[in-house]
This record gives sequence, structure tokens and C-alpha cells, in this order.
Amino acid sequence: MLENVSLRIDVGEYVAIMGASGTGKTTLLNILGCLDSPTSGSYCINGTEVDNLDDDALSHLRNRQIGFVFQLFNLLERATLIENVLLPLVYAEFYPADAEQRAVDALSAVGLQDRLYYRPNELSGGQQQRVAIARALINNPALILADEPTGNLDSRSGTEILAILQRLNREGRTILMVTHDRAVAEHADRILTLEDGRIAEERKILHPRDAGAELSELAAKERIDESV
Amino acid sequence: MSPYRVIRQGVTSLGTHKLRTFFMLSGTMVGIAALVVIMAIGEATERRVMQRVNNFGPTAMMLIPGGGRDLPPPDPNVTTLMPDDAEAIREQVDGLTVVSPMVRQMAVTLRYKGNQFQAGVFGIRSNWHAAWNWEASEGTGITEQDVATLSRVCVLGQTVKRELFGDTAPLQERIYVGKIGFTVKGVLEERGVSPGGGDMDARVVIPITTAMRRVFNMEHLSMIRILTDDLELLPEQTRAIRTLIRERHHIRRPEEDDFRIVTPMGIAEMVRGISGTLSALLTALAGLSLVVGGIVLMNILLISVTERRKEIGLRRAVGARRRDILLQFLTESLSVSLLGMFIGGLVGWGVTKLLVRTTSIAATLAWEPFALGAVCALLVGLLFGLQPARRAAKLHPVEALR
Repeated sequence: MLENVSLRIDVGEYVAIMGASGTGKTTLLNILGCLDSPTSGSYCINGTEVDNLDDDALSHLRNRQIGFVFQLFNLLERATLIENVLLPLVYAEFYPADAEQRAVDALSAVGLQDRLYYRPNELSGGQQQRVAIARALINNPALILADEPTGNLDSRSGTEILAILQRLNREGRTILMVTHDRAVAEHADRILTLEDGRIAEERKILHPRDAGAELSELAAKERIDESV
Repeated sequence: MSPYRVIRQGVTSLGTHKLRTFFMLSGTMVGIAALVVIMAIGEATERRVMQRVNNFGPTAMMLIPGGGRDLPPPDPNVTTLMPDDAEAIREQVDGLTVVSPMVRQMAVTLRYKGNQFQAGVFGIRSNWHAAWNWEASEGTGITEQDVATLSRVCVLGQTVKRELFGDTAPLQERIYVGKIGFTVKGVLEERGVSPGGGDMDARVVIPITTAMRRVFNMEHLSMIRILTDDLELLPEQTRAIRTLIRERHHIRRPEEDDFRIVTPMGIAEMVRGISGTLSALLTALAGLSLVVGGIVLMNILLISVTERRKEIGLRRAVGARRRDILLQFLTESLSVSLLGMFIGGLVGWGVTKLLVRTTSIAATLAWEPFALGAVCALLVGLLFGLQPARRAAKLHPVEALR
């Protein structure tokens, strides 16, 4: 349930949405992801009015403009990584001639170039989420929607995922992340807090946490632990 | 948007869920296999029917003494069928080409020098050769003159010739039929095994008059063979003959016939008999197993739609339209049933070969069961795949992802 939510996300922004469960986070995410249309009001993505579009048009819009990253990764268990990453292109209007190369590039971008023909169950959770990110990149979408991307990961893998998202953001990707974890949200440039279906608080983060730096710290700490 | 890639998703999904795929196709497989075997048996029965009818003569009738519904041999104790009956039929029933009366006796002892053999002896008119399309291959057959003069001439079946004469020439030799001497004037063409399983060549034919007055001392006929001009007329002619003979034999309403008229249809009906009913029943069973197979397929697909909600949700999230999901699930059900058809066809083919090799069941493989199987498999795949596919396509992406 959402009420009176007005929100603008600019190209190249990294926005986090926070809120306890039942505050409308998921509903907002569904609307932003073109999975559902608002009962009233309007939503415009990359110049396209989303309200009043039929199911086929919404599907097409998701395919073109949105890259999803889910909490539970949602990979095809029996398909190889490259097949998983290629999935959005199966439903694309035109299957690009360089599809395979693009999948390889996307997997390289998340550091899995050596595992193209592995299957998800041969990977750790963090690696699986990286495959999901590669899948979200393959269509070159206007917006990457990450729904609790670290929710199912240990803190180290979670930090790795956050580092990848931050790097993608620095490369110009627009990212919207939903989380209930303040520490995770503070990696974004802007945090919106939802309460009872309204935006209760909007905060700019002047100095977002740097996941890359946190990773180095973690590594240093591990080295000390080992030497003790 | 290329459907080809969506279809490939469906096929790939089958390949990666081998156990599920196996269960889905097993029903169709069993159904098609059963269909192939049953139709092969049915086809063999039909061929046997055709062969028997052709042996009998597709345009022939036989009037034999003795009531009841079974096929020959005629009842030798019924002595009411007379030569006049044959005459009357020839004169009064239209559209008949041949009316050939005959008498016969089984297991008559034949002698030639030191050799002895028991065979059937048939007293015939000259038109017997035409009635059975059975001519002499050496010498000549029985002529009307032989019949008119009660001459003591005979024509031998191939088996009789072999048994009595071995390699020596039989023509103009003298043999004994019972106690009476006959001159061999010909040898019949080889006919082989009769539809009833007897040796058709173990026989001697002699003029009917000679047989009735000189050899068997009988007044009545053993059989009248009748050929029709036109197969269309045969049922009508059968009725006419029956009415005529009942009248001549003074048979009134509640009394049963003291004769039978055997027709090609009667023969076909008898040969089909039990196997016909059985094969109809088995065909129904094969159909039933296809339906059951289809229902199993549908249920597994329905379960798999529920199980694969997340997958459907994901596909919808990355851009699959409803019709893409529909196409994928239909592809799965159709591929499964077609695969079931191929395996089932192979299994049916194998079982048929095995049946023919190891049992006495006759079975003939033709293309029809495979064609019918393909149609059935397509129908099963479409009919029982549509409902699950529609359910999958109807899933709202938000619901599916939850």
C-alpha cells in the first residue's frame, strides 16, 4: 500500500529505499520494476509513461529498461551461468548477433569469466548473486533494481556485492536498492525511508560507505587473524 | 522476438529434468505402444480374413446340408439336399454364373499296384472346375460327357498322385477307388492347405453320376457351389436361394433350415469372430491408456507449474510475455508427447516382432498405427498441455515472484 509517493531518480544515481516490512517497499519496487501498475498516479521511466500499458508492453519495458537482482538470486538451477545471463535476450525483440560475447563480458564484469559453463549449485551464494547482476546487465537497462541483494549472504559476500554495485554506479549505472539494513543502505547516495506507505524521510549521504575499502579492511583483518 | 528461442527454452527444460520428463512421457508411450501392437494384431486378422475369403472365392456361395451356423464340413447324416435343388436354383435364381452340385466321401481307400492311400473322393459336374477355378495341370478334367456316360475316369490331387505314383506318370493308369477301377485322365493343379488347415490336394474327383450310382450309392448331394455374377446381388440371391430351398424342402415357419448357405461375409465374420471383438476391446483400452497418459501428463505439468512459479516469475520479470510462457509450456507438453510417441512406436514395433517370433499370435505392422499414433500424441500434447500452459501464462509476475 502506497500513498502520495512522489519520487524522482536521476540517471546515474544510487538510491536506497529503507523501511520495515509492510511499509510498502515491495509495492514500490513492483511499480518501479513495471511488474505492477499503480492504481492511481503515474510512473514514467526513461521517457515512457508506464500507466495504462498492457501486459505485453509492460513485459517489453521490463525487458528493455529494467535489470532485476533478487534476494534469492532466482537463477535457473539447471542452466549454465552463460545461459542464465542470456535469459533476458531470449525475450528481447531482436536477439543480438553478439549475444554470447555480451554474456561473457557481463560475467567478466562480476569476476566470473572462468566459470561460464558452471551451474548455479556449483557456486557460493555470493557468486550466484554476481551471476544475477551479470544477468541484470546484459540488456544494458536504464535502471537496476536490487531487492535486498545482500539479504541472503554472509557479510563478506554481501560487501562484495555492494562493492560491485558501487563500481557499476560509478561507471554510470542507475541503481535502486531496497534494504532494511541501515549499514547496507549507507552505501547509496540517497536513502528514502518508507513508513506506512509514505516517504517518511529522505536523506542525502554526502560520504557513502565505500564497500571496496571495507573489503580491503576485512582482508587485512583476516591476515592479522591468520598471523596470530 | 523469435519463438524459436522460447521453444528451445522448453526443450532445454525437458532435457534438464529427465526424471520428470520420463514420467510425463510414460503414459503416452504405453498408449502408443499398445496401439501399435493392437493394430498390428488387427491388421494380421484382417489379412487372414482377406486370404480366407479369397480362398473361398469372394463371389462364391456354398449350400451345404445340415442346419446350424458353423462352417463345413457338411453333415453327412442330412440327406435332404437333392440334385433337383441344384437344378431349381440354376433355373429360378437370377444372376448366377455357376451352380455346381457335388457329392463326396472322406477317407476312401485308393489303391495303385502295391500302394495305398486314403483320401476324399468328390463326385463332380464338369463345371466344378470353373466353380473352384481349379483345372487339371496334366491331362484333362472331368467333362460333361464323362458325367453323361457315368464313365469310370478320375482326376487326382497332387498329394494322391505323389502317394500312389511317386515319380512315375499316372495318366491312363488304372487305380481302384474302393473296389471299383478307374482310369486316371488328369492331375489337378496344386492348391496347398485349405482355410480349415486340411490338405486340399489329398483328393480324387470323379463324375458325379459315377459317384452317386456306381461308387457311393447315394441320392443326395453333399454340397452345391454357386458363383454369382455380381457381388452386390449376393445378399439378395442368398435370400432367394434360402426361400426356394425351404419351399422345396417343405420347411414351415418355426422350423429351422436343414441347410446352410455359406457366404464370403459369413466366412469373414467367423474369422474375425472372437479376435474382432477382442481387438475392438484392446483398441478401446489403448485409447483409454492414452487418455490416462494425457491426464498424467497434465497433472505433472500442473504440479510443475506450481513448482516452477519462481522460474515463471523470473522469466516474466526479464521480459517474457504471457504468450512466451504459454508457448514454452506447450512446447514442453508437445515435445514430451511426441517423444513418447517415438519411444512408444519403437516399443510397440519391438513387442510386435517379439510376439510374432515367440508366440502363435499373428501380427502385421503397417504404417497406419504409427500415423494414428502421431495424431493421438499431438492431440494428447495439445489437449492436456493447454490447461497447465494457460495456468502458467496467467500467473501474475508479482504473485509468481513472491
